[in-house]
Amino acid sequence: MSDVIKVEGLVKRYKELIALDHLDLKVKQGEIYGLLGPNGSGKTTAINCILSLLEYDKGSITIFGKDMTPKSYDIKKDIGIVPQDLALYDSLTVYENIDFFCGLYIKDPAKRKEYVKEAIDFVSIGDFAKFKPKKLSGGLKRRLNIACGIAHKPKLIFFDEPTVAVDPQSRNKILEGIVELRNSGATIVYTSHYMEEVEQICDYVVVLDKGHKIAEGTIDELKNMIKKSEIITIEAAGVDEDTITYIREMKNIYNVEYEKDLLKVEAGSGKHNVIDIINILQDRGYKMKKIFSEQPTLNDVFLELTGKNLRDE
Amino acid sequence: MFKYFLKKRLREKQFVFWSMIFPLALMTFMHIAFGNIYDIENHIDPMKTCVVTEDTGVFVYNFQSLMDEMSDENGDNYYFDLDYAASVEPAKKSLEDGEYEILFEVKADDIKVFLAPGHSATSAYMAKAVCDSYMRNYDLIMEAYEKDPGSAQAVLDNTLEEVSYTKPAQSAFSEDPDPYSWFFYSTLVMGIFFNSMSGVAIVSELCADVSADAMRLSVSSAKKSRMIISSFLSKFSISFVIVLIQLLFMRYVMDISLGNSIPKLLLFVASSILFSLGFGVICGTIFKGSTDNRGNKTTSVVMISVFLSGEMIQQLPGVFEKYAPFINDINPATVMNMAFYKLAICGDYTGFYMDIAKILVTTLIFIAIGVFVLRREKYASL
Ligand SMILES: Nc1ncnc2c1ncn2[C@@H]1O[C@H](COP(=O)(O)OP(=O)(O)OP(=O)(O)O)[C@@H](O)[C@H]1O
Ligand SMILES: [Mg+2]
Repeated sequence: MSDVIKVEGLVKRYKELIALDHLDLKVKQGEIYGLLGPNGSGKTTAINCILSLLEYDKGSITIFGKDMTPKSYDIKKDIGIVPQDLALYDSLTVYENIDFFCGLYIKDPAKRKEYVKEAIDFVSIGDFAKFKPKKLSGGLKRRLNIACGIAHKPKLIFFDEPTVAVDPQSRNKILEGIVELRNSGATIVYTSHYMEEVEQICDYVVVLDKGHKIAEGTIDELKNMIKKSEIITIEAAGVDEDTITYIREMKNIYNVEYEKDLLKVEAGSGKHNVIDIINILQDRGYKMKKIFSEQPTLNDVFLELTGKNLRDE
Repeated sequence: MFKYFLKKRLREKQFVFWSMIFPLALMTFMHIAFGNIYDIENHIDPMKTCVVTEDTGVFVYNFQSLMDEMSDENGDNYYFDLDYAASVEPAKKSLEDGEYEILFEVKADDIKVFLAPGHSATSAYMAKAVCDSYMRNYDLIMEAYEKDPGSAQAVLDNTLEEVSYTKPAQSAFSEDPDPYSWFFYSTLVMGIFFNSMSGVAIVSELCADVSADAMRLSVSSAKKSRMIISSFLSKFSISFVIVLIQLLFMRYVMDISLGNSIPKLLLFVASSILFSLGFGVICGTIFKGSTDNRGNKTTSVVMISVFLSGEMIQQLPGVFEKYAPFINDINPATVMNMAFYKLAICGDYTGFYMDIAKILVTTLIFIAIGVFVLRREKYASL
């Protein structure tokens, strides 16, 4: 299977700042390709370079096996983009907005009418077709933004943080929509700094930080990359230093914290971690109230790889 | 694409307001507030005038008939409220007392003019204009008179024309321009010049580094050149229609003279709109920031230019003409104003064409730069 997008050695500088540093990407046909990274890591810059919107300093970019240039209209016709900033005309209605952007690709009016209708249904904003974007809620605007990008049925779609400032309901709707697009055959590049979303829908993930690719793989591959694989939280009153030190010294345990009756243990992969710790506490006569065991998230992956959180929250 | 560009622009309330409603509202206001006063002054308040004829003869006789023509209450050229006197001294006394504004002392082949203390600029001008053109045309009148007394009338009429037509040409740049027309012209020009905002809109519509929707256009498979043409034509046609509406309004509701050459008028409209669009494109590219930011800065520039062209203080261009004429030469609003003024009132077509040429050459340069910038398919910095 050939790569839909192939980026090799992409370097982009903004004066002093190196926004992208020798980035290599390979996006395969029919997958949801996640670009994950904190604010300012270069996700949007990468997309803009790929789309030939930005001049880059070094590297090569091919889409559908052809070199991408600003004049590659035959490539552009199969691309859809949902930009990070809302790209809508305030003075046109919902319907007209979609019709306009679709019209940039689809000339045949009958066909376009059908496509626009499908796009409206796809993001379910039919009730608002005659509204101006200003009157729409944030989530609806995002959905309209998406409809404008996908109405012409592109084969390759870029979603740049489509769920920013969106209520959970709209967000789920959007994520489901993206999966649906993938299932109907489109290839999707999806950027976000919400790891939950990326975990939920992406088939393949690249983690960016400061313009560097720091990790890539499927979600499971990424999680396996790190030592820490389980976080165990146990509520137990009055655990003494000796016990904590004992647990800390156990094999397969990386970190133990105890604060406000909560014992937090980070453990490597292994099936018996929880049971082992519970046994120790029971032997020493502590009463346990609640016990959680969490699998690591991509944030943990990020944390371990860079020593910082994906989001400052 | 063109259709939506049109729709989009027409629905932009701010734009429609500033380029169409605002100038019309100003004109209407002016018309209601001062229309009556200026209506009279436009024909010029007949001035209390005394003609002293101590001599007789053809020279005197003809001057008298010219003056009679210009003091005919029912005629088109009712400028003078005329009395005749036989001797100068009492008349001079009346003049000093303010009973008369102008006193013509007509000798056998010469005319002396006296003006009342504190006379108006208009009366001074009129007195001089009448004398000058009479003296200039006297020989002609005489010749005609000898050949065919009937044709003398034609020459006389011609003199009249000259008097009333040269006036504004004189005053266009003076400190006392015809304030009423000047106001309407400069308001119209202001409206036209506000179309610079459309130029900024073109930039924001097409330059991917200015707006997200332009970015969407840039990644689409629509050809850039087509987008530029659509965007430009949509703005141009809207502006053109708006200005035509305003002109019709001026002509038929406000009863303002627009000159008598429709092709020249259209040439004026088209070239000043083109100029404004080009100007807007340049401003839109030079100024950085968001679309609104660029728009506001452009508005300020336009406002300053319009102000300096005498929209609010009509004497301003006259003052510049005296002390720093280059300001008038390079201020777009003044140049457009003058072109229109020359076309509509003075009938100074040479001056008109000069101004239009100036406008068009600048426009050409602007548009060349504009197209170059807009055609760049990549944006250097986002
Ligand atoms: N036009 C520009 N000039 C200078 N620096 C820029 C410009 N655009 C972006 N940058 C810088 O490049 C880096 C990458 O920015 P980019 O927008 O690609 O990040 P991002 O991953 O999309 O972030 P976000 O999650 O906030 O959208 C940032 O440090 C940003 O400050
Ligand atoms: Mg971004």
